[in-house]
Amino acid sequence: MSTDELARWSRDLFTVALFVYIAAMLASFAFVAFRRRSMARLSTVLGVVGLTANVVSIVLRAAAAGRTPWGNMYEYSSMLAAMAVAAYLIGVEWRSKIRTLGGFAYAFVVFSMAMAVLFFYVGPQDLLPALNSYWRQIHVTSMITATSVLGLGCVFTILFLIKERSERRQVSMLAQQDPPPIMGGAIDADAPPDFAPGADEPVLGPSVRRGVLPASGVLDHLAYRFIALGFPIWTFGTICGAIWAQGAWGRYWGWDPKETWSFITWTIFAGYLHARATAGWRGRRAAVIALVGFGSLFVTYYAVNLWIASIHSYAT
Amino acid sequence: MRTALILLLLLALASAAGSLIPQFPNSPERVAQFLSTHSVLGEVYRRAGLFDVFGTWWFGFITALLFTSLIACLLPRSRAHLRAIRQRPVHARELDALPLHREMLVAAPPEVAARTAARVLRRRRFRVATEGASVAAEKGALREAGSLIFHWAFVLLLVGVIVGKGTGYSGRAAIVEGQTWTDARLNYDATRLRLGRYFDGDFSGLGLRLIDYRDAFDPETALPLYFESELELLDASGAPVGTAVASVNHPVAFEQLRVYQYGFGWAPVVSAAKDGQVLADGPVLMSQQTAPEGRSQLAQTWHGFVKLPQVRPEVDMAVELELWPDGRGFLFEGMPMFDANAPLIRYQVWEGRLLDPSKASLDTRFMRVVRGGFLWEGSTVDLDRACIAAGPAATVTAQAGCPGGVEPSLTLTFDSLPHYSVLQVGKDIGVPVVLAAAILIVVGLLAALYTSRRKLWVRAEPAGEGSRLIVGGLALQRRSQFQTEFDRTVDALVAASGGSVREAVAAP
Repeated sequence: MSTDELARWSRDLFTVALFVYIAAMLASFAFVAFRRRSMARLSTVLGVVGLTANVVSIVLRAAAAGRTPWGNMYEYSSMLAAMAVAAYLIGVEWRSKIRTLGGFAYAFVVFSMAMAVLFFYVGPQDLLPALNSYWRQIHVTSMITATSVLGLGCVFTILFLIKERSERRQVSMLAQQDPPPIMGGAIDADAPPDFAPGADEPVLGPSVRRGVLPASGVLDHLAYRFIALGFPIWTFGTICGAIWAQGAWGRYWGWDPKETWSFITWTIFAGYLHARATAGWRGRRAAVIALVGFGSLFVTYYAVNLWIASIHSYAT
Repeated sequence: MRTALILLLLLALASAAGSLIPQFPNSPERVAQFLSTHSVLGEVYRRAGLFDVFGTWWFGFITALLFTSLIACLLPRSRAHLRAIRQRPVHARELDALPLHREMLVAAPPEVAARTAARVLRRRRFRVATEGASVAAEKGALREAGSLIFHWAFVLLLVGVIVGKGTGYSGRAAIVEGQTWTDARLNYDATRLRLGRYFDGDFSGLGLRLIDYRDAFDPETALPLYFESELELLDASGAPVGTAVASVNHPVAFEQLRVYQYGFGWAPVVSAAKDGQVLADGPVLMSQQTAPEGRSQLAQTWHGFVKLPQVRPEVDMAVELELWPDGRGFLFEGMPMFDANAPLIRYQVWEGRLLDPSKASLDTRFMRVVRGGFLWEGSTVDLDRACIAAGPAATVTAQAGCPGGVEPSLTLTFDSLPHYSVLQVGKDIGVPVVLAAAILIVVGLLAALYTSRRKLWVRAEPAGEGSRLIVGGLALQRRSQFQTEFDRTVDALVAASGGSVREAVAAP
C-alpha cells in the first residue's frame, strides 16, 4: 500500500474507533440507567473493538509516516485515547470489577479524540530534526500515558465529589427525619419495636436511593490509584524531557511554557498526594486539589500548544 | 509539611505567571513588543520582575524558604527513620485483635515452633525479634526510606542546579566555514551570553574550527531533515586534538564544554577596496527576518552590512546587502532556497554618518540611499557609479557594465558564499549531579508509593503435646495487597512445620 493509502486507512480507523467509543459510552450509560447486564457486556466488547481499531490506526499511521507516530497533537490525541481506554479496561473493569463508570471514562476519551479531529488533523510528515531522538519516544510515551491515567483519575475525582455530596445530603436528611422505630422512636407498649413487622429493615426516607455511582470511598480509592500511578510516570516523563532538552537544546530546563506547565501540574498532583496523607485534608479537600491539577493538565496538554508561544509549539 | 506545600503551590503560581507573561530570557523581542503596547501595565510588570519571573529575587526567596522548610522537615524524619530501622520489632499481645489473624496446631513444642517461624519469616526478608515463644517481625522500611530519598533528592537537585548554573556559562558562537573560533568572552554573541553568578570569568580558551557545515531539507515541505557542523577541536594552545560532528540532538563534549548545533546562516565573503587599497574584507554574517505565516523561512532573503567609515572626508558609507543564496529565488517569489546556486546580492549604498559600529544593523537616521544595484558571485561593482566593473553581469537584471575609459575608484567584490554555523557553547558541571538527583527522585517515588510497612507476629502456646501457633498481621498501607502476602506466609509457616500440622484454624 502506498503512503497515502496507509494514511487514509489510518484516518478511517481512527474515525471507526471514535464512533465505537461513542457507542461504548452510550451502552455504558444505558447499563447505568436500565441496569441491564447485557448493556455492560456490550460496552466492554465495544471498548475492546474500539481499542483494536485505535491501535491499528496508530500502527498504520506509523507505517505511513515511517517513524513512531508521536510527532504532533493529532497523533498524541490518538495515543492518549488508546492509553486511556486500555487503562480504564484494565484498571477499572478488570482489576476493580466496576462497570458503572465506563460512560464517564469513554466521554473523556471521546472528548480528546473529537478535539483531534476538529483542530489537529495533519497528514503524516517528517519530523523536525529536534524531534528526532530516542528520548522523544520515551518522553512522549510517558507523558501521554501519564496524561491519560491522570485524566481518568480526575474524571473519577469529579464523580467522587458528586457522590460525596449526595451522600452528605442523605446523611443530613436522615438526621432531620424522625428517628426510625428501631432506634426507639416508636416506643409503643402494645407493639414494642422488636416485634414490629419489618423493624429490622433500615427505614429510609423517600429520597434515599442506591444511586448509580459506586460509594464515595470506592471512587476516592480509584481516583487515588490512578493519580498515584500517573504521578510517577509524569515525573519520569518530565525528567526524560529534561534529558532530551539537554541533548537537543543544551539545557535541561529553560522555563519554556510547556516545561513550566508540566512543573505546575507536577506540583499540584504532588500537593494532592501529600494532602491525601494528611488528616483533615483527605477526601473533599484533596479532591479539589486534584481538580485543579486536572485544569493544569488541560493547560499543559492543549492550551500551551494552541495559545502560548513555546518551543514546543511545533508539536501542534 | 503544610508550609512546604503552600510554598510549593506559590512557586507553581509564580511559574504560571511566568508562562503567560513573555519572559525576557526566552523571548526578549516579545517583551519589547509588550512594553510598547502596554505602557502602564508593562511598567508595573517590569518593576515586579514579571518579565523574568524565574530570575527575580522573590522567586529565589520562595525557593529558599521552600528548601529550608523541606530540610527542617527531613532532618528529624531521617533521624527517626535511622533509629527505627535499627530498633528490634516490638512484640504485640492481643494478636487476635489484629485485622489479619490465624491459628493453627503444630506438633513441635512452643520454643521450637517459634524458632521455625522466625526462620521462615527471616527467609521472607522480615526483620525478626524472638523472645521465648513469641516472634515479632517487620518489613517495608523501604517506604519511608523511599520517601526520604525522594525528598532529599530535591535538595541534591538544587545543589546541582546552583553549582552547575552558578559556576558555568552558555552562549552562542557563529563560525564561518574554514574559520576558527576561540572560547573567550568577546567571541560570544553578547546579547545571548549568560554567565553564572559565581563564574570566575575564566573561559576555557579551547578552539573550534568549522571544517564544514551541512544540511538537508525536504524538497516538498521545506522542513529541515538535519543540520550538522564538522568541527576540528583545538586545545588552549591552538593545537588540533581531533575532529567531531555536532548535530541536533547530538552535542559534542569537548573537555568541560558542550557544543550544540543551534542554527545556520550565510556569510558572503565581500571585499571593498578604494584605489586598490582594501578597506574591508571578509565574510559578512547575514541574518534573516522571521517568515510571515504560510511562507517558508527558506524563502526569506538574508541581510547584512559592510560599513566603510570615512570613505571620503566627512562621509561614512554603508553598503546594505540583501542576499538570495539561490538566484532563482529572486525571480520566483516565495521559492525556498535550499542551497547556494548562482547567489545574487542586491546592494544599496548609504551615505552620511555612521552611528553604530554593529555589523548586524544600521542606524539610518543620518544616512540616505544614494544608489544601488546587483552583483553575482565573482563579480565586482563600482560603488560610485553602480555598474559592473569586472566579472559576470547580473543578467536577471538589466545591470549595465561600466563604461570603459574610467578606472573605478571604490569597488565591492563578492568572492564566495560560505555558510556559517551557530553553535551553542556552554559549561555546566552540575549536569551529572542533576541527573543523579532525577534518578533518585523517580526511584524514591516508586518506593514510597508502591511499598508498604507490614508487621507480623507469631506466638506459640503449649497445646497438648504440641503447640498452638497464633499469627497476626497488620499492614500500614496497601492493605488489600497484604492479605495475599499474609496468606502465603501462613502457608509457608504451615509447610515449614514439616507436615506435622494437626489443624489449621482460620480465625473468624
